[in-house]
Amino acid sequence: MKTALSALALLFVTTAVVAAPPEHYLHVKVDGTNTKELVRVNIPLSLAEKVIPAINSGQLRDGKVQMGNFRCDSVDLQAIINAVKAAPDGEFVTVQEPGTNVRVAKERGQMIVHVTDKDNGQKVDVTIPWQVAEALASATHQRELNLEAAIQALDRAGDATLVTVTDNDETVRVWIDSRNSSD
Amino acid sequence: MLLLGKIGIGLMGTVLVGGAIASSEGFIHVKVNEKQTNGTHISLIVPAVIMPMAVEFIPRHHLRDASANLQQFMPIIDAAMSGLADCPDGPLVEVLDSDSHVTVVKSGGSIVLDADDPDETVHVAVPLRATQRAIDMIAEANGPS
Repeated sequence: MKTALSALALLFVTTAVVAAPPEHYLHVKVDGTNTKELVRVNIPLSLAEKVIPAINSGQLRDGKVQMGNFRCDSVDLQAIINAVKAAPDGEFVTVQEPGTNVRVAKERGQMIVHVTDKDNGQKVDVTIPWQVAEALASATHQRELNLEAAIQALDRAGDATLVTVTDNDETVRVWIDSRNSSD
Repeated sequence: MLLLGKIGIGLMGTVLVGGAIASSEGFIHVKVNEKQTNGTHISLIVPAVIMPMAVEFIPRHHLRDASANLQQFMPIIDAAMSGLADCPDGPLVEVLDSDSHVTVVKSGGSIVLDADDPDETVHVAVPLRATQRAIDMIAEANGPS
């Protein structure tokens, strides 16, 4: 009896370990405060991982985005990302102007960008997990961002709020979690 | 009597096999209800297996433009269909405003669209597998016949 129970327990544990990881979703929610409009989009990351490499149009080719006129031929983007990754948490850039505040910081292994535009009542928060930033910069050409790798990195990064935009008219939120519907 | 029984079993088998084939690809469900008095109410359920069959009956020259337009998007369509088929069921898109509500949901191998506005409600469910086959056939219509 004991052996049978042990075998069952082992089987249960093995199944739990071997079981496929939960699907992660990229959620976009646009909530119009004044217009009473609500848009919710839930994209399974596995779907995005398949579709993005298949798109060859405009600046998106083979899962990579061309950065247009941005030139960084003599700059090793990957080296900069590695250097910032190795740096301790802290504020990297702070800009304070009448009506506008910008803050770029590293917090808990994530790149944080806060922009506040007091004149328009707009607030933007962007959070980029490090593995996603590294994946974006992992393209073979300097003037490309590797979107396909970034999506794969997002899948591994776990739950996170990526972008929040709030102004007088609407709120936009982009986040990742393993729920198949937004709140 | 024995012969009648055999014929009955044969007929029943044929009906069962036919039903199994017809339902193997799922069903297309279209339901439209116009809300005004005397508005149209349509509810249509057809086996999705007829979708690729119906494409076969469309003369190829009528499909050429559609085929040419589809060709460039086929890699994306193939990837999207495969991704949708593999991902779990759940809501994909929801749009809500003061007087209308639209949802697109993946449910049991089908894409289900529901729209509700002051004039009408629309429900469309289309199985992914049959849709993929029909799209493939349209895309191939430009090929050698």
